[in-house]
Amino acid sequence: MSVEAIGSAVVDSAAVGRSHVLRRLMRDKVAATATVVLSLIVLGAIFAPLISPYDPYFTDLTIVMQPPSAEHWFGTDNTGRDILSRVIYGTRNTLMLGLIGVLVGGLLGGFLGILAAFYPRLDGWIMRLVDVMLAFPAILIGLAVAAIFGAGLAAVVIALVVATVPDVARVARGAAVGVMSQEFMEAGRAVGVTDSTLIWRYLTLNCISTIFVFLTLRFGQIILIGSALGFLGMGAQPPTAELGMMAAQGRDFLFMAPHIATIPSLAIFVIVLAANLLGDALRDVLDPRLQQ
Amino acid sequence: MIKALLGAAFALSAVGSASAQTLNMMKGIDAPHYDAQRTTWGPTSDIVNMIQDTLVALDWDGRTPIPYLAKSWTVSPDGKLYTFKLRDDVSFCSGKKMTAEDVIFTFKRLKSPEIKGPYAWRAGNIKELRAPDPYTVEYELNEPYSELLLQLTMFTNAILNKDNVEALGKDYGVKGADGTGPWCLESWQPRTNITLKRHDAYKWGPSMYKNKGPVKFEKMVIKIVPEDSSRVAAMMAGQFDTTHQFPSQFIAQAKVSPMLTVTEAKPNFQLLYFGFKTTRPMVADKRVREAMSIAIDRGAIAKAILLGNADPAFTIVDAAALDHDPKTAGIVKQDVERAKQLLDEAGWKPGADGIREKDGMKLAPKVYYTANANSARVAEAIQGYLRKIGVHWNLQPWDSTIASVKMAEQDYEIWSVTVPYLSAGDLMNIYFDSANIPTPNRMNWKDAETDLWLKQGRAALTPEDRAKFYAMVQQKVMTEHLWMPVLNINMHEVTNKKLKGMRPHMIYQNTFYKGLDASF
Repeated sequence: MSVEAIGSAVVDSAAVGRSHVLRRLMRDKVAATATVVLSLIVLGAIFAPLISPYDPYFTDLTIVMQPPSAEHWFGTDNTGRDILSRVIYGTRNTLMLGLIGVLVGGLLGGFLGILAAFYPRLDGWIMRLVDVMLAFPAILIGLAVAAIFGAGLAAVVIALVVATVPDVARVARGAAVGVMSQEFMEAGRAVGVTDSTLIWRYLTLNCISTIFVFLTLRFGQIILIGSALGFLGMGAQPPTAELGMMAAQGRDFLFMAPHIATIPSLAIFVIVLAANLLGDALRDVLDPRLQQ
Repeated sequence: MIKALLGAAFALSAVGSASAQTLNMMKGIDAPHYDAQRTTWGPTSDIVNMIQDTLVALDWDGRTPIPYLAKSWTVSPDGKLYTFKLRDDVSFCSGKKMTAEDVIFTFKRLKSPEIKGPYAWRAGNIKELRAPDPYTVEYELNEPYSELLLQLTMFTNAILNKDNVEALGKDYGVKGADGTGPWCLESWQPRTNITLKRHDAYKWGPSMYKNKGPVKFEKMVIKIVPEDSSRVAAMMAGQFDTTHQFPSQFIAQAKVSPMLTVTEAKPNFQLLYFGFKTTRPMVADKRVREAMSIAIDRGAIAKAILLGNADPAFTIVDAAALDHDPKTAGIVKQDVERAKQLLDEAGWKPGADGIREKDGMKLAPKVYYTANANSARVAEAIQGYLRKIGVHWNLQPWDSTIASVKMAEQDYEIWSVTVPYLSAGDLMNIYFDSANIPTPNRMNWKDAETDLWLKQGRAALTPEDRAKFYAMVQQKVMTEHLWMPVLNINMHEVTNKKLKGMRPHMIYQNTFYKGLDASF
């Protein structure tokens, strides 16, 4: 068996059903709804400057804490800013944080997990490192980073990445160990394929769908952790809109203007719910064991 | 929501069942210790004022020292020798009589290098302390200090029991703290509660109180409840009798609550300001500082952000405070167009994003402050105003556990604190004397005239001279716009309606002060 033959077998295997993913997602009503809602949210976030009715940073102390009205659909906050505009921009920042956390954390975690599976001599070291990382709650890491370097989006990103890496590393290692026992890996070694080619072309490509499904499931949790850090004041700083921070700002006015805290909290709820439902649906579609 | 909070309040540890002779107080934060000489910490000061007394007390007007442990005093013509006649009927909670020996020990300890008292300067530059008899203290200074009596009302100058301090050593203020105050420290569980008991022998209350002592309660239990909403719920549910740390955003609710009474300390000197570090290029030009100061609507901030629980501050020193200079009243006036003009003149031109730039640098000063509710909200409101003139305040709140360290690094253009003070001299000597660079003179303001006038004010032998020199300092620092005064924050005491006789004091946010007239 040539290298090309091994490669085409693997890629063909990985590609099976990929063209049907979207169609199958749409067949499930819950998944379809989640996909549509999340797509709308993402589109809203991307085109925030075009669809926001007001400047999200414009303060007007003459209209503070106004309830929802025709002029301000979601009302105004404690400095007279339009909450709808801030929710749109806040969603953008919240999604961005979640995405960076998942992508960077997924990349690092996946790399560590695959290395651990491929090189048994590194396995113990990498997995103990992962154990150590798992011992630190993400919130605690975020607080520590913010305390040392100052609160800001960077502190949240670091916390989210650290929160993502160990779980992904474990999942990636598990998937990679399964692939390592496949015949094509042994065949690859036998015909002299280099380690880097084996790792990237055969091992990684065969683990990607598993890691991807895990990351979609993880996305909602990461957004929740990011929002929690924002709520604690460790994330975005004023005037930047971020949903967790907006909810925290409204907490002090729950008696007088409950909409200031509840609207951003509802936005977080909708995003996380849609992300979780979509993650579940993607797992159902992409995981061959569940298909059987 | 209110129902839910009330429910949560009932779930709090029950203190309502305590005896009617127990006064239940609530605080938001505890202190690391109760040794008044080793701290500037407000949460220490309120308890110290309950358990210990000063030679002179501060009257309700916030500017008049009145006899307390010292029943009278004389001042020599050169202003350097104060002779205090002590009451001869004062005893500590331990039963020991207070004498001149304790007074002399107190001030020697305050000035000793081992204590490093951060407020030791408040006791003046002491040359010698003498006790011609057990109830007379001669307090001699190296130089006149016109505000000595006013400063002696501060908690850091409370009289200690020599024997108690020596017996406890390093544990003084932690395992115990004897005093002559109307309350005695019975027990302390850090960050949980403090229990005080009545000082039965106490009968030397200052003339400002109707009741000279003892207090009407057998005990006072002070519980630490850090969460704002929990304190609100607990007060509204009748779990506690009084608190001076009721969140300002809920004061309106407390005022209409059928079971609560809200009283405000008047007068009240508690300034929330933003200071400019003048050695940083971005704010070195006084036109830039003035532009920021006149671009904001202080009245709107007081009304909308503090919900009316503050007054707009246009001067550094409040108009009711001792030695306030009325001529400074017109220096800061809101004028957005003039603010823009000043920035144009200073060479800061609007960039593509609307934020002004000069020599490749954006006008985006770093603003440090402790992340508490008032500072954060006010900073954010000002940030909104300044965006309209092309200035972006880069806000950096710090948690209270690390704020002092970060402030000390001085990597900022602007910082903010809320400072309680006694008088013009008190405020300006702390903050504007070049001897206090880098902190608390965080402006790094080094000006020979300011230093000279402060010195002349301190050494003045008449109130008129003192007021004259301090007025000159006020005009100087105001026209230089070294600070942006924003609000004078109100102080409230929120009490259960069954508690009578509460009148909040303004001294160092210690609204309860001695609490001698309080009763059910």
